[in-house]
Amino acid sequence: MGRDLEKKIWMYTTGIMIIGLIALYSASFENLRVSRQVFYDQLGCAVLGLILMYVISRVDYRHFYDFAYIIYALNVLLLLLVLVGGRHALGARRWIDIAGVNFQPSEVTKIAVIFFLARYFSKRRPRFLFDIIGKIEVILMEIIFPFFVVILSMALIFKQPDLGTAIVIFGIFVAMLFAGGLKARYVLGFLGLIAAVVPFGWHFLKSYQKDRLLVFLNPNIDPLGAGYTVIQSKIAVGSGQIFGKGWFAGTQAQLNFLPERHTDFIFSVIGEEWGLVGALVLIYCYYQLISCGLDVAQQLKDKFAMLVAVGVVSILTLQVVINIGMVMGLFPVVGLTLPLVSYGRTSFLAFAVMVGFLLGLNKRRTVF
Amino acid sequence: MRLKIIRLITSGLFGFIVAGLFYTQVIQGEYYFRLSVNNRIRVVPMEGWRGQIKDRNGKVLADNRLSYDVTVTPQEIGNATELFQFLGGALGVSEQSIARRYGRKKDAPFVPVVVAQDISREDAIIIEENKYRFPSLSVQESYRRFYPLRENSAHVLGYVGKMSVAQRDRFKEYGYSMESVVGYSGVEEYYDTYLRGKEGGLQIEVNSRGQQVRLLGVREPRKGQDITLTIDSEVQRDALELLGDRVGVVIVMDMDSGEILGMTSSPGFDPNIFVGSRDASEINRIFADPLAPAINRAITGLFPPGSVFKVIMATAGLETKKIVPGTSFVCPGFYQLRKAVFRCTHVHGTQNLIEALAHSCNVYFYNVGLLLGADAINHYARLMGLGEKIFIDLPYERDGSIPGREQRRLEGRGGWHAGDTLNLSIGQGEVQVTPLQLVRLMTLVARGGWIVQPHVIKAIGDVPGDTFTDERRMKVDEDILETVRKGLRGAVADEAGTARVVNLPDLYVAGKTGTAQTSGDKKNHAWFAGYAKGGVRNIVFCVLLEHGGSSYNACLLAKDLLLRMQEKKIL
Repeated sequence: MGRDLEKKIWMYTTGIMIIGLIALYSASFENLRVSRQVFYDQLGCAVLGLILMYVISRVDYRHFYDFAYIIYALNVLLLLLVLVGGRHALGARRWIDIAGVNFQPSEVTKIAVIFFLARYFSKRRPRFLFDIIGKIEVILMEIIFPFFVVILSMALIFKQPDLGTAIVIFGIFVAMLFAGGLKARYVLGFLGLIAAVVPFGWHFLKSYQKDRLLVFLNPNIDPLGAGYTVIQSKIAVGSGQIFGKGWFAGTQAQLNFLPERHTDFIFSVIGEEWGLVGALVLIYCYYQLISCGLDVAQQLKDKFAMLVAVGVVSILTLQVVINIGMVMGLFPVVGLTLPLVSYGRTSFLAFAVMVGFLLGLNKRRTVF
Repeated sequence: MRLKIIRLITSGLFGFIVAGLFYTQVIQGEYYFRLSVNNRIRVVPMEGWRGQIKDRNGKVLADNRLSYDVTVTPQEIGNATELFQFLGGALGVSEQSIARRYGRKKDAPFVPVVVAQDISREDAIIIEENKYRFPSLSVQESYRRFYPLRENSAHVLGYVGKMSVAQRDRFKEYGYSMESVVGYSGVEEYYDTYLRGKEGGLQIEVNSRGQQVRLLGVREPRKGQDITLTIDSEVQRDALELLGDRVGVVIVMDMDSGEILGMTSSPGFDPNIFVGSRDASEINRIFADPLAPAINRAITGLFPPGSVFKVIMATAGLETKKIVPGTSFVCPGFYQLRKAVFRCTHVHGTQNLIEALAHSCNVYFYNVGLLLGADAINHYARLMGLGEKIFIDLPYERDGSIPGREQRRLEGRGGWHAGDTLNLSIGQGEVQVTPLQLVRLMTLVARGGWIVQPHVIKAIGDVPGDTFTDERRMKVDEDILETVRKGLRGAVADEAGTARVVNLPDLYVAGKTGTAQTSGDKKNHAWFAGYAKGGVRNIVFCVLLEHGGSSYNACLLAKDLLLRMQEKKIL
C-alpha cells in the first residue's frame, strides 16, 4: 500500500512536469524566433527537482520538526532583506541574490509557514474548556498568536507586493487550523471575523492590485491595460475548444498576444493548444497528486507529519485552482504560478521539495 | 473526519474549475475561437490610383502625385512628449497641435495615427532618419489627387475628399470603405465609379504588437480608368483670364457634336485645397464665401434670361402664326398697359421681326406677348428647353422655372395679369434658366431644330463616349428658325445691332444679348448667347456676367474669347 502510493506520487508529479515542459517548449517560441533558454532552464529545474524530491524523501522529517521555528525565523529575515535590497522585476521586489543564485524567498515562505504551523498546532497544550478564561486562552494561543506570527511573513510578502502568495499563506493557515482539530465554531468564527475586516484592507492594496480587482469584476473597463491579460487569456483558453489547435498552432500564444505566458499564464497555452482534453489530463494529474497527499495524511498517526501533509495539499490545491481560475477569468489576476508547470526556478523547486516531504512522510509512516 | 471534509472541499474546488473549463472551451469555445482569428488577422487596405482626367488634347487636368504622411503607432509610442517635440521641430508646427491631432485620431493601439499629412520630401527624409529614436514613427507614401492647372476647369472637374458617413452608407455595397477617397461634384463625382481605383489590400497576420509576422495574401490595387474630356484647357484658360474678378459664366460648345469645349464659372476655386485638407479654414472660406465659388453657375446657377428670351417669343409667334416675318409694330420707346408704363431701351420706331430681334426692341415683343398669351409662351419656352434639365453629365444641374397661370394658381399667389405676360415676354421677372439651357436654345436655332446632347466626356479609357452623338429633331419649323437666325445675325451684323461689337471679319457670328433686371440696387445681369460658324468648327456659346451691367460687357468678353480661339486655331 505504502509503496503503491509512493509510485503514484512519483508518476503524477513527473507527468505534470512533462506536460509543463511540452507547453513551455511551445510558449518559448517567440515571434517565429526560437528562444529555448527558458525551456532548457526549466528542463534543468525538472531534473534538479526530481533529485531534490528523492533526497528530501530520504531525510527523516523529525529533523524538520526540530528546525521548524528556526527555518521560519530565517525566512522572515530573508523577506526583510528582499524589502531592503531585493531585485525589481515586473514592478515588484520579489527576488534576492544569495551566493550568486537569485531566488524568491516568498516561495520558501510557504514551506516555512507549513513547518511552523505544523509544529505549533501539533503541540498539546493544557486546556480549560469549560470556563471563560479557558476559552480566551484557546482563542489567544490557538488562533491569535499563530495568526500573528504568520501575518508577519504575510505582511512582508504583501508589501513586495505579492497578493497571491499572501492569499495562499492565509489559506494554508485556515486549512491547518481546521486540520489541527480546533473546534469548528472557532474556525468559523475566525473566518467570519476576517471576512468582516477584509473590506477595510482595500486601502492597503497597491493601485495596480485595486485595478486588477476592479478589472476582474469587469475586464472591459480597461481592455488594453489591466484587463488585457485576462481578455487575451480567456480568448486563448476558449479558442482551444475541445481538442485544441495543436502544438505550436496556438495563435494567441505564438503571436505574442498572451503576456507572461511562460510563467503565470502557462495554462492558457495548454488550454489553447491542447484544448479541453489536454487541460483535463493536467487537472486529473493534479487531482490525483493531491488525492495521494490526502491519503498520506490520512494514514499518518503523527500529528506534525499529518499537518505537514495537509499544508502541502492545501498549497497545491489553492495554487492550482486560483491559477487556472484566474487564467479563465474566474478569479482576479493575483500573480500565482501553476505548480510544477510555470517557469520560475524557486517556485518549481519549492513544489518539488514539498512533494518530497509527502514522499518522506509516507516512508516514515511505518517506523512507529 | 476533518481530512474527509478537506478532501470534499478540494474535490469541490476542482469540480468548479472543470465546470469553468467546460463553459469556456465548449459552450463559449466557438465565440472565443472567432475572437482569436480576428485578433491575428488584419487587412491593410491599399487604395488604387484614381484615373487621370485629361482635356481633349491630352493635357492632364487631374493627376496623382506621391505624398508623404507621418504616422505614429500608439502601442510603440514610448515617450510621447519627446516624440511630439521632435515632430513639432522637424515640421515647423507647434508641439501641441500634433499632440492634439494624435489624441483626436487615436483609435486602436496597432492602428497608426496620421499626425501630419503631405509633408515635403525633405521633411520625410529627416523623419525617416530619426526612426531609430522613435520606433513608433513611420512615414507612409500615398497617392494624392493633384490638379496641375489649379482653377482651370475646377467646376467641371470637381474635387476629391474622404468619404462622408452618409455617402459610405449609400455606397457600402459597391465596395467603398470609410477611408475611400471619393469625388465631390463635377466629373470626379459623376464618373467616380470609373475613376476610382479598385481597392486592393494586404491580409497580414500580426502579433500582439500589431507587427506583421506573415503575409497571408495580397490583392493588388488597380488603377481607375482615365477619362478624356471634351474640355479644351486653352479655352478654359482664356475664359478664366477674361472673366478675371468678375462673377459670371462662359460656356463654349461644339454645336455639331455637343462637346463642351469650355465651361468656366467665376469665382472659381483651386481643387487642390480640398485634397490635402491641411487647413480646414481654407475650405471653410470657400463654402462661406457669399459669392459661392464652389457652385458651377453654368448648370446650377439660375438667372432670368432677359432679352435672350425674345428668341422664344419670335419662334412662338411665327409657329402659332400670330405674326409673320413682315409683321411690324411701332416702338415709341414705351408701352402703355392701362395705367402702367413698360419701357423700351430706345425709341425704335417701326420694327419688323428681324429688326426687333437685332435691336432687341421690347415694345415689339410686348405686342407679340399679348397676341400669344402666357400659356403659349410657357409652352414654347419649355418646348425649346428652358426651365428643363438638360441632363449634362455633371452633377447638381438645376432646372429653373418658367412662370405661368397654372404655376401661379398652384402656388396660391393670386392671378396672372397682362403685366406678367409683358414681363415674361422680355425674359424678366420670374423666369429662371441656367446658362447651359441658353446654349442649347442657341444650338436649336443655329442647327435648324436639330439638337445634340451637351456633354463633357469624350472617352473613358479607350472607349469613346459615343452615346452622346445622337441627334434629336425638335418640333420647330426650319423656315421659322431661318427667320430667327436672320434676326440673331442682325444683332451682330447690323449697324444698330445690339451685339455689333462681336462682328468679326472671318467669322459668321450671330446671337442675342440680354440684360436681366435684378432686384434691389444691384447691377443687371449681362448676357450674350449665340453661335459662330465658318471657323475650324461651329460653336455655340453663352456669356453671363452676374450683375455685370450692360450686355455690352458680355459681348466684349465674347468677342475677345472668339478672337483668342481663332488665334489658337480652335475656332
